[in-house]
Amino acid sequence: MPVVSFAAWLVEREFAVIAVEPEGQDIMNLPATEPGDGSQPSVTGQRFAYPGGSRPLDGYTIKRGVGHGGFGEVYFATSDAGKEVALKLIRRSLDIELRGIKQCINLKHPNLLAIFDIKEDGNGDNWVVMEYVSGKCLDDVIAENPQGMPVEKALAWLFGIAAGVTYLHDHGIVHRDLKPGNIFSDEGRVEIGDYGLSKFISCSRRSGHTESVGTVHYMAPEVANGRYGKEIDVYALGIILFEMLTGRVPFEGESVGEVLMKHLTAKPDVSGLAEPYRSVVARALEKDPEKRFRTVPEMIAQLPQPRADIIDSLGGNSANPGLSQLGDAAARAAFSDAPQPLNPVAAMGNNPNQIAAKYVVVAEAIEEEPVQKAATELLSQLRHWWNNLNTPVKVAISVVAVFAFMSSAQVVVPLGVIALIAYGIYRIVWNLTRDEKPKTSPATAQQWTPPPANSPGGNGQPGNGKAPGKGQVANAPKPDNALKTARSIKRAKRLARHKRRKHRNVNPREKALHALVVKSVPQRIGDLLGSMLLATLVAMTMCLVMVIVTSFRSEVPQPEQCAWLLVVSIAGAWGVMIPSKFWEGTKGEPMLRRFVLLIVGLGVGAVAWGASELFMVDLIHDTNFPPPHDFSMPDSFYNGGPRVLAFLAVFGTLLALVRWWRHTDPLRQTRLSLWSMFIASALAGVTAWAWHFPQPWLIMVACTMSASVQMSSPWVHPRKRFGDDDVNNTG
Amino acid sequence: MHESCERRTERFLLWIDAVGGYWVCLGDEVTIGQPVRIGGVDIPILGDLSSHHARIRRDGEGYLIEALRDVKVDGHPVQQAALLSNGDVIELGHRVRLVFRRPHALSATARLDFVSRHRTQPSADAIMLMSDTCVLGPKPHSHIVCQKWSEEVILYRHGSDLFCRSPGELEIDGRKFFDKGKITKNSRIAGERFAICLEEL
Repeated sequence: MPVVSFAAWLVEREFAVIAVEPEGQDIMNLPATEPGDGSQPSVTGQRFAYPGGSRPLDGYTIKRGVGHGGFGEVYFATSDAGKEVALKLIRRSLDIELRGIKQCINLKHPNLLAIFDIKEDGNGDNWVVMEYVSGKCLDDVIAENPQGMPVEKALAWLFGIAAGVTYLHDHGIVHRDLKPGNIFSDEGRVEIGDYGLSKFISCSRRSGHTESVGTVHYMAPEVANGRYGKEIDVYALGIILFEMLTGRVPFEGESVGEVLMKHLTAKPDVSGLAEPYRSVVARALEKDPEKRFRTVPEMIAQLPQPRADIIDSLGGNSANPGLSQLGDAAARAAFSDAPQPLNPVAAMGNNPNQIAAKYVVVAEAIEEEPVQKAATELLSQLRHWWNNLNTPVKVAISVVAVFAFMSSAQVVVPLGVIALIAYGIYRIVWNLTRDEKPKTSPATAQQWTPPPANSPGGNGQPGNGKAPGKGQVANAPKPDNALKTARSIKRAKRLARHKRRKHRNVNPREKALHALVVKSVPQRIGDLLGSMLLATLVAMTMCLVMVIVTSFRSEVPQPEQCAWLLVVSIAGAWGVMIPSKFWEGTKGEPMLRRFVLLIVGLGVGAVAWGASELFMVDLIHDTNFPPPHDFSMPDSFYNGGPRVLAFLAVFGTLLALVRWWRHTDPLRQTRLSLWSMFIASALAGVTAWAWHFPQPWLIMVACTMSASVQMSSPWVHPRKRFGDDDVNNTG
Repeated sequence: MHESCERRTERFLLWIDAVGGYWVCLGDEVTIGQPVRIGGVDIPILGDLSSHHARIRRDGEGYLIEALRDVKVDGHPVQQAALLSNGDVIELGHRVRLVFRRPHALSATARLDFVSRHRTQPSADAIMLMSDTCVLGPKPHSHIVCQKWSEEVILYRHGSDLFCRSPGELEIDGRKFFDKGKITKNSRIAGERFAICLEEL
């Protein structure tokens, strides 16, 4: 598609998507029947027009509100005879929605949420009477498994969804809005809701007004051209499968536009998936609808059948009744009976399945510097492995690693420095030679998002390093305009590099996220005081740990040395926390922050000097650490021990070097990231080395600071970060 | 075995917008059984149960389950009575399984969640055995966890009356209150960010 028309479409789309929200608010603003309502409808959307006990529709008593869908509120109600139903209120004359639902009103399938009736109340509003599901929404289940759910469970869901979608397709209906928020499990049965937005395939020509609906994360690229074939459901199924297995969607972005752009141009990174899931997802996510699976059963046929007992664990009683609907005996015959690996990541690299040979994974040769690629991949694998360990093991490994490093530092550090310098030279040369032929990198678009810290496979591509020979390049589509787009995106990426990347995050969610961290000044000060107190306690503990660790190696540190360590660590932690508290939830300029921290660092340096004078502490260089470089420092810095200037320089550097605000960010990935601690300690080591500061004191301070800052700063659990705008339960 | 429990304790359904429906029992002693007669037991469960299957008694701070029929706690058959502790799985008959929880350390209120696919009649998501207080809020130790709420709402008993407490303005049955107000077993309570509705059984 030409870039220009795409841009126009994008603007239109962005506008349309945003336009849905005020409408949603309006729905709540029309409380003709709301008794005594003088209050403002809340922004969080927790309020419903009809309270429990009201009877807007003859024969039904509303019990409670369930959620807000894109088109209206959903209530739980019982009929006079006691039948439990979900009532969906459709305000205004949303003909599109009504027309869609009316077409579907008589569809019957165990994997489709049943629509009982559509009724009009006295106010002229329409109510859809639907089956009520009390089970979980797939969205919640995915949120409960941030690293991806077990394959068996994902398959059970997928087969249920596929059966329902197949039925819809057989009846000439495309769902068009398949997403986890629309999929439920009740009594062990997977049920698809919201197929009221479906349109008949025959009238799938562009009709403009319905375009605003749907969630962009699951939206096939050809929707941009107004093409609404069955293939868009196949695409959505591919995304859902990917999301169930990895816990995240393949195309993430900070705005609707960015996500859509990725749908159009970026290659999904399926390298974290095992076969056959990798090839199935890759084929379902083909940009060209012609290259996708033509039908849902064709896609399902490539996957192993879920075990009956797993289906049961979704909350159902026996086999999934929907399975029989998949038809196509040949397809079923292709199901493998062999037990599948439970973890697709673990199975990475071994591929016993011949099916994979049939469907070639599309992997474009991406121009990425090979050494860096290998390193990133190794690192992400290491991270993944690390994240799967439990904390005691992590601590044990850390301790062993620290010992190993300390005893071999004399050899390792110089070697590492030499290797780094060599790599730097090589990298410069490589970049210079690459820039001459930029056309070899059309698909760099894929690299917009850095690989999430805990996602398997990270940025790597299938067909490299770990899994050689698999997923070879074959007829990969090379969009002509992708180059231009990729370039502009690269630019955008540069701008957005220091913005936070968030899970499945488009604008509204991001706003919610920000609302979450907006706090008044007194609130912040209160928080801060609590955190500072807590930081003191953590610092004490950490200092004790440090003392124990160091006394293994040399003689026990003197009491005055311990006191110095504690005082300086607390001062450092407080110094970091105070400005960070006021940066919380904002995207500041990193350089400015570093400058502020530099000033704080000078202050901490002064405290460190003062403490060393006060306690008359003698900071001795541990000879097990590599000696500092030969460039001699002036006497104004060192005269026997470090003097005030040395303290100022060392702490100024340490605070400016580490991105401490990341340690206090309430949206950081884990409360205590040992990785951040490691980075801080490593930078401290380098700083001390550069300034001739006696080792390992600065490392100990940095480690203690990092731990106490992270442990005491507020942290929002990832599961609680999204949600308010996500209530979308029945219907 | 036992004389049937005719006196019914006070109970109501608690409907919370965007959260769920809860079966709240106020009495210190509740009976569980099949919903054969209206008002037969405090907690009628549509399951393969006897009409009076088990009795749960709050005794000071602890809870005792008394087996009137076949009852197991964590797989062990209950001869006469057994003490319940947080996380115990109660098995009634062969099919009905509930988990007993005491979410809040400072409150004697307990909660029964269905593990098996059974429901009360009429249906509710969980059963609350309410002592003096029932905490609705975002924290994990709330009796009823309402994740998207910013503040706690506490239902509590004072004498024989029920009250609702929550910071800020409250609207109870159309009247405005501040911070707290008296409620009945048929009240509608709306705060700035929540709405709940009681329905007497």
